[in-house]
Amino acid sequence: MSTATSHSHAPAHGHAVDHHHEPGFWQKYIFSTDHKMIGIQYGLTSLFFLLFGFILVMCMRFQLANPEAPIPVFGKLLELILGDAAKGGSMTADLYNSFGAMHGTIMVFLAIVPLAFGAFGNYVTPLQIGAPDMAFPRLNMASYHLFFWGGVLMIASFFVPGGSAKSGWTSYSPLATVAEFGKPFNGQTMWLIGMVILITSSLLGAVNFITTIIQLRAKGMSWMRLPFFVWAQFVTGFLLLLAFPPLEAAGVLQLSDNLLHTSFFLPNGLVVSGQQLPVSGGGSPLLWQHLFWFLGHPEVYVLILPAMGIVSEVIANNTRKPLWGYRSMVYAAMSIGFLSFIVWAHHMYLTGMGTKVSTFFQTTTMMISIPSVMILTALFVSLWGGSIRFNTPMLFALAFLPMFGIGGLTGLPLGFNASDIYLHDSYYVIGHFHYVVAPGTIFAMFAGIYFWFPKMTGRYMNELLGKIHFWISLIAMNLVFAPMFIQGMRGMSRRMADGGTAYYGADDIALTLNKSITHAAVLLGLGQIPFIINLFMSIKNGRKVENDNPWKATTLDWATPTPPPHGNFAAEPVVFRGPYEYSAPGSKADFLPQDQKS
Amino acid sequence: MFEILKKFGMPEPASAHASGIDDFIGYVHILMLILFVGWFAYYLLALFKFRASANPRADYTGVKSHMSTYLEIGVAVIEAVLLVGFAIPLWARAVEEFPVAKGDPATDPIEVQIMGQQFKWSAHFTGPDNKWGKQDIKSASATNPFGLVGTDDEGKDDVVCALGEPFKVPLGRSVICRISSMDVIHSFKIPSMRVTQDAIPGMTIPAHFKATQVGSFSITCAQLCGSGHSVMRGDFEVVTPEEWEKWYAEKAAAGGGAGSFE
Amino acid sequence: MKYTFLLSSLFLGSTAVLAGDVTGKVTVKGTPAAERPIAPLMADANCGKAVSGPVNTRHYVVGADSGLGNVFVYVKAGLPEGYKTEVPATKAVMDQVGCLYEPYVMGAVAGQTVEIRNSDPFLHNVNFMKSAVGNPTFNFAQGKGAKPVDKVFAKEEVFVKLQCNVHPWMFGYIGVSSSPHFAVTDKDGKFTIKGLPAGKYTLGFKHLKGGDLTQEVEVKDSGATVAAAFDVK
Repeated sequence: MSTATSHSHAPAHGHAVDHHHEPGFWQKYIFSTDHKMIGIQYGLTSLFFLLFGFILVMCMRFQLANPEAPIPVFGKLLELILGDAAKGGSMTADLYNSFGAMHGTIMVFLAIVPLAFGAFGNYVTPLQIGAPDMAFPRLNMASYHLFFWGGVLMIASFFVPGGSAKSGWTSYSPLATVAEFGKPFNGQTMWLIGMVILITSSLLGAVNFITTIIQLRAKGMSWMRLPFFVWAQFVTGFLLLLAFPPLEAAGVLQLSDNLLHTSFFLPNGLVVSGQQLPVSGGGSPLLWQHLFWFLGHPEVYVLILPAMGIVSEVIANNTRKPLWGYRSMVYAAMSIGFLSFIVWAHHMYLTGMGTKVSTFFQTTTMMISIPSVMILTALFVSLWGGSIRFNTPMLFALAFLPMFGIGGLTGLPLGFNASDIYLHDSYYVIGHFHYVVAPGTIFAMFAGIYFWFPKMTGRYMNELLGKIHFWISLIAMNLVFAPMFIQGMRGMSRRMADGGTAYYGADDIALTLNKSITHAAVLLGLGQIPFIINLFMSIKNGRKVENDNPWKATTLDWATPTPPPHGNFAAEPVVFRGPYEYSAPGSKADFLPQDQKS
Repeated sequence: MFEILKKFGMPEPASAHASGIDDFIGYVHILMLILFVGWFAYYLLALFKFRASANPRADYTGVKSHMSTYLEIGVAVIEAVLLVGFAIPLWARAVEEFPVAKGDPATDPIEVQIMGQQFKWSAHFTGPDNKWGKQDIKSASATNPFGLVGTDDEGKDDVVCALGEPFKVPLGRSVICRISSMDVIHSFKIPSMRVTQDAIPGMTIPAHFKATQVGSFSITCAQLCGSGHSVMRGDFEVVTPEEWEKWYAEKAAAGGGAGSFE
Repeated sequence: MKYTFLLSSLFLGSTAVLAGDVTGKVTVKGTPAAERPIAPLMADANCGKAVSGPVNTRHYVVGADSGLGNVFVYVKAGLPEGYKTEVPATKAVMDQVGCLYEPYVMGAVAGQTVEIRNSDPFLHNVNFMKSAVGNPTFNFAQGKGAKPVDKVFAKEEVFVKLQCNVHPWMFGYIGVSSSPHFAVTDKDGKFTIKGLPAGKYTLGFKHLKGGDLTQEVEVKDSGATVAAAFDVK
């Protein structure tokens, strides 16, 4: 560690001499092993997928508000791209299912996790622990490239005959196997291969993060001096490492069911469309669900923990005071990490579960709500006594708190099996997890982007555009997701290609809400335009930062030159104190950086 | 107390156990509401009171009281009460306490096989002889979902409402649904009865309810099952016991359900 | 179900119809079981409104003098080596109307485009699992007002059986013949196959319940007349 840092970083005046071979375009931007470039690659790719997943859901929302109607303008484009699958520019039930499955898959595996873990994790973690790079830079590069090609494969699957996977992002067997039975190479096959590649990428990333955080901490950076963001990434690394392999195995087994007609997940006596399925049977559809949700639930915390990490950094910085209950937050994060492995079957209450097993899983589910409440409470309490600056990153971080709060609270009636009997697989569920992920995690991601952009580029993002982006997003997100609770209460099931017209009269509130949600979703889409403009314009035209630490922050990521060069630190940092020494008594400045001696 | 929830639009409960579930949903939502309103009020106050212009230098220590710890303990205790006092007993009643036959043909629970297929529900009653007709997977087809063989005596009076044909159940008598699927996973959900049970191929899982209101009710498929998932609606009627006996006898006389439309 | 081959071909002289045409009649021996009312169709919220009066199965369409309708008649063998089959440019049309396929049984030439329409104002899906290599397997949804979908069956397959899973009682049968010389019997069991060059042929008769019959026939310039009967036991 010490040799690596001192070797690669001569003082600033020796800079030009030190870098006697400037890397070429390919090496610098494409096959980079620098964690910061890889972080930016992850960031841009996952933002693209975020937009892509949003476009998919906009098509679905149009269909829900106007069942069977051709999509204006964009429908023509769809027909052009997808041909017969989007004939006449309208969403068929197949296309709806296909977009639905891909929206979920893309948002979870290609947009939000890579953004939270791949982009922020990669860029910020080594900086915050005072490391020159990740422990395994080449592995890091391989991880990104696998992610990229996995994503390409997922998008390519739209063009396979029969279209992409259309059995939901959960890909339950036997539907996933029989949906295109008899077609050797179908969208589901592509999905599974894509997933195996993406999982491999995540595993490489997870190993790398864990090793880096254990091995490459700067001198003096003891465990309890780690910023909470690093703790969150650390726990996330373990979640990915331990939860993904079962799904990778399950993916290979389902691939074998689809291609080789084995029966790992297919029971005896399947009769599809009146024909006995020509497979041996004897498998279990529930096995797939167990393996899937064994990943699926920890995955929820993979989405949440890094978001909590980012929000903690931004809140500590902009309240100008230490995080309240830092230690309890760290222990809570570890408890979440452990407990998240034993709650998965609460997704499966209605698969015929008896009282004993369901009692176990709902007890663990209630237990895991406690550390989540602890972290959220600590962040709420941290506001008290602060000197709160309302800049754009802080607005997003602050909005995260009540929004994630709604997401978490609405998880309660789903986590109790008795209320889940009624609410299971209804729009209530959709509202719940979107509150967690959209105005929750995605807001945290925006906070992170606005917060670290000055470090990445040396320029601020525009505050006015940022605030427009924030307010439109906040209002629109709530107009989109809150009505879903009402739809769910009315008993409206999810994944209905016709938006429930088979069950409700045209003037039923469930259907009128479909229309208002779609309008709000359009507003949400428009609200992202200022962000996109801001993101790209500010790279060249943003206001320049005054110094390397524009937010007057304490953590090591702000102790680097701006933007940080290859190898990060001008001199090997030494850590003298905890991560959030803001407004310490006796200190004149209202912040004491971790690497400042006194 | 739960008038608010009705305004949220939960359908009128129509089964004996529904009000228990509705009350529970109500209690949980009250807890959620109290927590949210409390948090949110505190949050707005904190944001206003500690804005930078009003409070230029932050307080290093912040909150010193243990209020939040008590709050967390409080939440945990309430959750535990909801869990032990309500959720577990309600669940046990729903999935384990099945009504048993006492030998009285007028009040004994009615058993019905429910079969899901892409994209219809089918129902199969024993008929007046209380014996299931012979079933064989080899006889199963798109229009004979229960695989009724059709050559045996027991099956001659079976009542089959196949492929979405509405069936009837009597008011005030327990109905045990033995739910399965012949192709992919469906979910048998009757919102008004507060009944949901996944229909999983290779498994037969029972669920039960006792109707407390006459009328027509819909069955929703609550698990994505393919392109027709959104139209996989089933309907059934709850009628008075007399009406039901009449319907049952007529259906039984019309002959078993082994025939095919194919 | 047992069926027997009853009548061999009759050769007629100058009184025959157009040269090279095979005409004939297919009959049924015995009384088929009564058709079943399709109760779920009539009870369905959408379908019930789309039809008037009770709808029965159409397994045996029996007309005057025991004529059996909906039999697909085609040339199984006998066309000369390298016989040039012209694939019609027109589309063969299969419609979905009133929760039934219309026509119930139809023919198409291998390679001809089959247009699948949905005239109902609600969702159907069209599901087909091929058995002939080279033909497509498909399962697509067709909602209200959806554009027709074209499918091409490249290889002979009798029958291509379409089914709808939204309405599992819906079946539609397409006889895909490698030659353009085929016919579907009308409600009285009569059919005409046009334009066969003189020669000896094996004709195939396919009924969805009665199964297969074959019959040798010699076609002269003046044509030929055949008769066939399915036996219901």
